Amino acid sequence: MTTTVLAAPTESRLQSEAVTLAYGDATVARDLSVRIPDGRVTSIIGPNGCGKSTLLRALVRLLRPRGGTVYLDGQAIHRLGTKEVARRLGLLSQQSPLPEAITVEDLVRRGRFPHQSFLQPPSDRDHEAVERALALAGVEDLRDRPVDELSGGQRQRAWIAMTLAQETPILLLDEPTTFLDVAHQQEVFDLVRRLNREEGRTVVLVLHEVNDAARVSDHIVAMRDGAIVAEGVPEDVVNPEQLLTIFGVPCDVMCDPATAARTCIPRGCLLQPHITSARAGGVLRTSDLSSGYGDRRVVQGVNVDIAPGRITAIVGANACGKSTLLKTLARLLPITQGEALLDGRSVLEGRHRELACRLAMLGQGAVAPAGVTVEELVAAGRYPYQRWWRQWSPEDEAAVTRSLEATGLGALRHRQVETLSGGQRQRVWIAMTLAQDTPVMLLDEPTTFLDIAHQVEVLDLIADLNRREGRTIVMVLHDLAQAARYADEIVAMKDGEVIASGPPAEVITVDLVRTVFGIDCRVTPDPLTQRPVVLPALD
Amino acid sequence: MSAEVVQRPLPRLRLRWSRGAGLFLCALGALAVCVLSLRIGSLDVSTADSLAAIFDYDAGSYEQTVVRSLRVPRTLIGVAVGAALAVAGGTMQAATRNPLAGPSILGVSAGASFAIVTAIYFGQLTEPMQYVWFAFAGGLATSALVYGIGTAGAGGASPVKLALAGVIVSALLTSWTSALLLLDRETLDAVRFWSAGSLAGRDLQVLWTALPFLIVGTTGALLMSHQLNVLSLGDDAARALGMHTGRVRGVAAVLVVLMTGAAVAAAGPIGFVGLAVPHIVRVVVGPDYRWVLPYSVFVGVMLLLGADILGRILMRPSEIQVGIVTAAVGAPFLIWIARQRRVADV
Amino acid sequence: MAASIDAAAPRPPRLRTLRLGAVSLRIDLRVLLLIAVAAAGTFALACWAMTLGSFPIAVVDVVRSVLGQGSDEYDFVVRTLRLPRVLSAVLAGALLALSGAVFQGLVRNALVSPDIIGINAGASLFAVFWILTLRSSALLPVAAFVGAVLAAVLVYVLTWKGGVSGNRLILVGIGVNAMCAAATTFLIVRFPIDDVSRAVLWTTGSVYASSWGDVALLGAGLAVLLPAGAVLMWAMRVLQLGDQTARSLGQAVERTRLTLMLVGCGLSAVAISIVGPIGFVAFMLPHVARMVAGPMSGGVFVFTAMLGGAYLLAADVVAQHALPVSLPVGVVTSALGAPYFLFLLWRTNARL
Repeated sequence: MTTTVLAAPTESRLQSEAVTLAYGDATVARDLSVRIPDGRVTSIIGPNGCGKSTLLRALVRLLRPRGGTVYLDGQAIHRLGTKEVARRLGLLSQQSPLPEAITVEDLVRRGRFPHQSFLQPPSDRDHEAVERALALAGVEDLRDRPVDELSGGQRQRAWIAMTLAQETPILLLDEPTTFLDVAHQQEVFDLVRRLNREEGRTVVLVLHEVNDAARVSDHIVAMRDGAIVAEGVPEDVVNPEQLLTIFGVPCDVMCDPATAARTCIPRGCLLQPHITSARAGGVLRTSDLSSGYGDRRVVQGVNVDIAPGRITAIVGANACGKSTLLKTLARLLPITQGEALLDGRSVLEGRHRELACRLAMLGQGAVAPAGVTVEELVAAGRYPYQRWWRQWSPEDEAAVTRSLEATGLGALRHRQVETLSGGQRQRVWIAMTLAQDTPVMLLDEPTTFLDIAHQVEVLDLIADLNRREGRTIVMVLHDLAQAARYADEIVAMKDGEVIASGPPAEVITVDLVRTVFGIDCRVTPDPLTQRPVVLPALD
Repeated sequence: MSAEVVQRPLPRLRLRWSRGAGLFLCALGALAVCVLSLRIGSLDVSTADSLAAIFDYDAGSYEQTVVRSLRVPRTLIGVAVGAALAVAGGTMQAATRNPLAGPSILGVSAGASFAIVTAIYFGQLTEPMQYVWFAFAGGLATSALVYGIGTAGAGGASPVKLALAGVIVSALLTSWTSALLLLDRETLDAVRFWSAGSLAGRDLQVLWTALPFLIVGTTGALLMSHQLNVLSLGDDAARALGMHTGRVRGVAAVLVVLMTGAAVAAAGPIGFVGLAVPHIVRVVVGPDYRWVLPYSVFVGVMLLLGADILGRILMRPSEIQVGIVTAAVGAPFLIWIARQRRVADV
Repeated sequence: MAASIDAAAPRPPRLRTLRLGAVSLRIDLRVLLLIAVAAAGTFALACWAMTLGSFPIAVVDVVRSVLGQGSDEYDFVVRTLRLPRVLSAVLAGALLALSGAVFQGLVRNALVSPDIIGINAGASLFAVFWILTLRSSALLPVAAFVGAVLAAVLVYVLTWKGGVSGNRLILVGIGVNAMCAAATTFLIVRFPIDDVSRAVLWTTGSVYASSWGDVALLGAGLAVLLPAGAVLMWAMRVLQLGDQTARSLGQAVERTRLTLMLVGCGLSAVAISIVGPIGFVAFMLPHVARMVAGPMSGGVFVFTAMLGGAYLLAADVVAQHALPVSLPVGVVTSALGAPYFLFLLWRTNARL
């Protein structure tokens, strides 16, 4: 997949001239001029809140610019009729929930709306377009299935089919791969490339993941704080200097010699070797452990020994049971079979409070109540040691102070949690878990919804805590690259079972990635850390 | 594979045909319920007599007089109001993309009641025909208020926000209404039967005033079903398909207020018909509004007249107002919807 | 009030730890001060309220009568007529506000209160039935309490689906509310107009003609439930972080929630059975308390009670004296509370 085959872009049907965008009084982006090259795949990237989705909305006229103009085929887009625009531009927005029981074919038919008029019955032309769209997106076999019963990747393809039925020369997709796991992401990117290569359609993608953008696109537009900071072919944008400007994180870039695809590796602080020995206690193991929700068994016969005083990462595709395993270890789900032992005692023994003094768990998507300050939230971590008549002891005070210092939140202690950034907020929750003062900490996807800079911030903190305090850390990660970089041990799961476990260099192999995630890839060692780097292969 | 492709259109055709047949059956069912409504009551009348009262009236027969003067108006109002409320509910659910939308949840009924009670108290309103205009004004203002509050903010409309706004506005208006009623016993006596929602004892004149609005609203909504289909994909998707979502919503809102305002004026606040019928219909015919709305017409008639007949039978010889019966049947239905996973998660 | 809303500014709390052997309590001096101010304010308002009426009395004489040293002519008006009314307004307001605080914390949703999720409607239904069939007010509190608890249990059971979700609870509550309201309407339509207007009066909520017996009941309820609630706030602070977090911090979540619900029902039922379902006090006052004093805690809970008492008393004064006709206090509280609720809902963004 080299871009040299294609001639340099000369024409651009869709472009913006000095566009300024705002929601209400808040200006999101200023003075954006973009030319979308015809017949290419263009990606718009940048950290959360940089205005990339807003730009896309302006390009399809969902948002009227405060200043400047978007041009479609040389005409100002807001002067064109809405249906006229919809016949030339197809948009896949971030999905909203659909009415129940709507089938794939129903959905795709509705994509013909711009070609129909009031009270006109669907014509043969419409019927053909629907059939073609179903075939192109590869969802013919799913046509009579309700959309809400499909897997994430299939659902995304059904929506793309609806956009295809619009028969537009230009397609714009807003974050089409969020919430999908790697194999489904691959599915969507393959479709995008096929549409571009075989049909010659112009495609514009908004992506939050640089590596995906580098792999699928011919042209990248990088934004930060509402301005365009870099633009050009992937080679020009995906390089260490540019990435530092865009995301504010030092990165290295590896080039796959076989495909010339570029992969960005964010650099946090370098991991120190383990000096402190593990604390007393914190030996967690399971034997033949099964659990699930109600009658549905999600985790089956798992045997793992968690290395004390080390970082263990549990990886696997969506719905493989990795979070369920973590919740079972923390006694949040009942065990249906087997046992989980902490220091030789079953986690089910004794009161919940006792367990909470020995094992802490940070779940996903916890939301702090309105008005709570950092210190109050962290102090809640002391709950298992307290009673209503014994609300505050010197040990509580010491533990809270210590964990605020360890997480670098000392200066923010009286701020309200809602006013903090995503990365800071996640640090507060980790501090709360830390204040529980347990030898074992379980963290469920501590980096989701954060952009690269904040991901690095959070993972560095976790690694640092592990090194300095010798705590046993088990975390679920959906990103294999992060797991390889930060974990001492990896546990790979598929369909509720553990497939492999051990140090990253031994576990992460081409075969394992194919079994667990269902994608083909190459694995090479990172020249700096010698940890494995996974480079997904395309097509 | 190729054989399969050839056979594809068949199930579709059969589906369309069976949906058409189902619609016909529903129409027959609605007709049967109408006949039952003429027959059943504190005085049971034979089918022959009740039909004769319409087509071959014999003023000497006591039965026929009862049918002609009491039950025919009652049934006609039931047909018009049931159909309009059900279609209004379906339209609202599509336009707000909210499974909990319905005239009673969005406060239209409470607004109309408040306007009417206020008018009776201050304006010495005596003619039920004048109710219509106040019902329109009250319903329109309330639904605009509820929708405005329920959709404000970055989160947009969520079922819970909209339902809460509706409940609170209703509570506020109801408390004002009851304050007015406390101040004036005559108004209380004039209004308490009306405010329970009933088809009985209504003047046909009221129906004639309301009927044009009901017809315009219902026909308009039926014609809009294709637009509603696209709208149900979500705002961004519909706008990206070239729809003026604001314009379509506005038209839908006007139609809904026409239908519910006229229905409330004719029969008082009758809850939950508009909420429940579209859901029942969707279970049978799927999410396509080109079928949901026509089915709703007939199922709405069946449900409302059925509830009315039930109210006549349950405590013979006295009656339970139909508004009470529909609320008693419909509120559990609301709970059932709330227990469906998707709604509470949205 | 306005000074403390500034969200982003660091505001070091004045926390003091009180230690007595094994007992240690954390006390926020600011909240303590606020409680004192609110108590003084309520007392002043109560004294002023007792001067008003068709037979005006000077403040000094009111205070003297209350302390048992007044003249006989004032004693009758103050001690028999006005004092019970004022006291029941204060006590009922406190109970209602507290029930709101409990339910809002329980559901983790600031837009919930017992009047929205059907508790009050259940109590009303039973009370109206009682009034209409037995035509006596004896044991009315018991009937209302039974209704409130039954409604709460119904809502809880119907919401239960391997756990209780806040949003589902609201929707189910609205449904139960509608059912109870329909049944109440049915009763009102079925019975003769004489009995009905009494029932309608009760359902709007009023502290009119309160007796010393009512005050004793309300006072007893508050004396038991206020300390219980204040203690439970310690556990609720953690429950607020979400079920999963609370559980991993070692809390028995369902047990805590059940206890909180019983206390909440008790608070609301005791108040409703005496004064009727006065709307929006339960919803509004916890908000005001949190705005002034910060997130809910044992201290803020007590402060909420003070505010609730003062608010209902003020609303009663308005209802009784501000207009030419005297209205039931419930009309005034909903006229003020509903717009505030809608304002909050309008301001709430993606949280729901």
